Amino acid sequence: MASKIFQEIRGISDPILEGINRGWITLDAGDYTEHTTLEADVAIIGTGAGGGVTAEILAKAGLKVILIEEGPLKSSNDFKMDERQAYKDLYQENAGRMNKDGSMSILQGRCVGGTTVINWTSSFRTPEQTLQYWTDNFAIKGASKEEMDPWFEKMEKRLNIAPWAFPANENNSVLSRGADALHIPWKTIPRNVAGCWNLGYCGTGCPTNAKQSMLVTTIPSAMDEGSQLLYSARAERLIMDKDKVTSIEITALDKSYRPTGVKLTVKANTVVLAAGGINGPAMMLRSGAPDPKGLVGKRTFLHPTIFSFAEFENEINPYYGAPQSIYSDHFQWESVSGPVGYKLEVPPLHPGLTSVLLMGHGESHFDDIHNLPNLSAMIALLRDGFNDDSEGGAIELASDGSAIVNYPINDYLWEGVKRTHLTMSELQFAAGAKAVKPAHVDAKFETSWEASKAAINTLSYTASRALVGSAHVMGGMAMGEDLERCVVDSNGKYHYLDNLYVIDGSVFPTSVGSNPQLSIYAMACKQATQLAEKLTGIKRT
Amino acid sequence: MNTPLDQVLPTTRRGFLQLGLMGTATLALGSAVATLTGCSSALEHNSEYKFLQSEDREFFAALIPVVLHKSFPGELSDDAAMKRTLLALDDLIYTLQYHNRIQMRQLFDALSMAPVRIIAGASWASWKDMRPKQVGEFLISWRDSIIQPKRNGYVALSKLIGISWYSQPESFASTGYPGPPIKIPTLAANTTITPLSTNTTSAENT
Repeated sequence: MASKIFQEIRGISDPILEGINRGWITLDAGDYTEHTTLEADVAIIGTGAGGGVTAEILAKAGLKVILIEEGPLKSSNDFKMDERQAYKDLYQENAGRMNKDGSMSILQGRCVGGTTVINWTSSFRTPEQTLQYWTDNFAIKGASKEEMDPWFEKMEKRLNIAPWAFPANENNSVLSRGADALHIPWKTIPRNVAGCWNLGYCGTGCPTNAKQSMLVTTIPSAMDEGSQLLYSARAERLIMDKDKVTSIEITALDKSYRPTGVKLTVKANTVVLAAGGINGPAMMLRSGAPDPKGLVGKRTFLHPTIFSFAEFENEINPYYGAPQSIYSDHFQWESVSGPVGYKLEVPPLHPGLTSVLLMGHGESHFDDIHNLPNLSAMIALLRDGFNDDSEGGAIELASDGSAIVNYPINDYLWEGVKRTHLTMSELQFAAGAKAVKPAHVDAKFETSWEASKAAINTLSYTASRALVGSAHVMGGMAMGEDLERCVVDSNGKYHYLDNLYVIDGSVFPTSVGSNPQLSIYAMACKQATQLAEKLTGIKRT
Repeated sequence: MNTPLDQVLPTTRRGFLQLGLMGTATLALGSAVATLTGCSSALEHNSEYKFLQSEDREFFAALIPVVLHKSFPGELSDDAAMKRTLLALDDLIYTLQYHNRIQMRQLFDALSMAPVRIIAGASWASWKDMRPKQVGEFLISWRDSIIQPKRNGYVALSKLIGISWYSQPESFASTGYPGPPIKIPTLAANTTITPLSTNTTSAENT
């Protein structure tokens, strides 16, 4: 019988409550009862990886910054390692966000700190092949490996990023053990943690503040410089005059994330859009921002993610311990732009999320989930966007103006999905699994690699048969100097507005090919540093 | 705040909405008929539910024990487990953005009508009178349908029920999950802690 590894966590101070006590300017939009105008030098829409890094740099440069966040302000005292509370408070659409046809679930953060509050801490530099592809195909300037390396180094230092120094948990050991058996190279994942307790609850908000998310690093630093933080505040649209953004219309939200009926206005000389690849483009579309080529919201990439489950004789306890610590890029770069490549990693398995990933219902579903302690899972993240048959999705607007992610999974991707099932199944058996089941409605646990291979070869690869998820939203506001393909320049400035910058994962013109947080941090660090120099006229080192 | 959308939708906007998730002619017809005949009821006055109407709850109440099988009702009574799951579902669906929320509304409205249920592969009996075997047959017919929207519907319904139940601490014993550590918040000087949201029970109370 599995038992708890940690009984109790206490004595963790809450840096947000302490900051508020020190006099931070935190404003809950839901508290406003009438229209109010707030002003700053720079308004940053979104407080995730892009907005957080940008806020710290601009605030430290002496600029008056206001951060605007759709989600609530939650902090370590609120983080109870409870899936219910976490999904409701910290995730877009209660962790139920889906693409248009319902074939893909999308996990994305919605809180102060954005997805960095709920991600699993994997911190990779942008692959060199990806940077080269962007330079060659989108004419991005200044993004070669040599030019980016100093920015990666800087953010690695800022966020304490280093390969995980403790032994991998059992769940991750399955990947390294299987890879060793098959002579496939693997590596240890760098993580952005300081004093990590190895608990396993990165996905529900770090209860010990070890994760160096924006919530406990750059945002407190910006707040200490006197920045304003406006939360429960949805940026509805940009108000523009000729080639300039003059203000932002804000919808105040109540505790249920519905409009209170009060609108706010934020006026700023410069606006940074950092709302991610779904809500950012949607706000641009709602605003009627100039977009002569119709490119806003196009080329949305998701790293479509495929799952495979394995049962072991011994306990795996897949819900405990650092959730991601081992990866393999063996199948990632066999060709840059040929059949889709993929990164292999491991997901944590908490029961709510696991019930979804296992698919199915009734007796067979119960049989699959009832021995959770002995279950392990592996994931493959498809590197979308590097082939003409992989143009990604498009952001559309529902009639109420909210975003719809129209991302159908096509045959190019389905071919990759099937390959990943075969790869992961073989690895799991090689690691000693007694039974393996790919996440597919028609699949069952098979007890040998041969049987599993035969079963996978009979499965139908189409929507709502094989499970496909996503935890990485990229693209929609492609960056580069090629005006036929891009809407922001290499510095992040929107090509068609003078004072609008886009600094977040939406500017990546393809998927990254690895968990994107460090890619966003480094690009944001570079672009925000340039922006601070431009706005203050002072060169900073 | 309950926006007018959730109340008004079932009776006025239906015909103009684009069908995606549930976009079969069958279901569109069902929705239209529901609208014309006024079969779709609005949320009851003073309901503790924000989205699920009484017929929606009957529908889920039929599905929940079949989907969850032996893990249900876990350490709760049948009634308490059902209510907990329904409230969690209500919260989840209410938080979905417009597009997916409407897909749900259309699905529930269509399946509340006997003729549509028949065409959709379920029983003529109302959901509350349906036997578990009939509910199981309905789920399997949708799971294995050649029509993608039905397959999507199956995945969406089983997924919503699963996450709403298996994240409840009283279900943990049924999966062997020992649960998370207990978190003891730390008061900052001169600060009071905001109470937790009211319709969740914190893990340390269980």
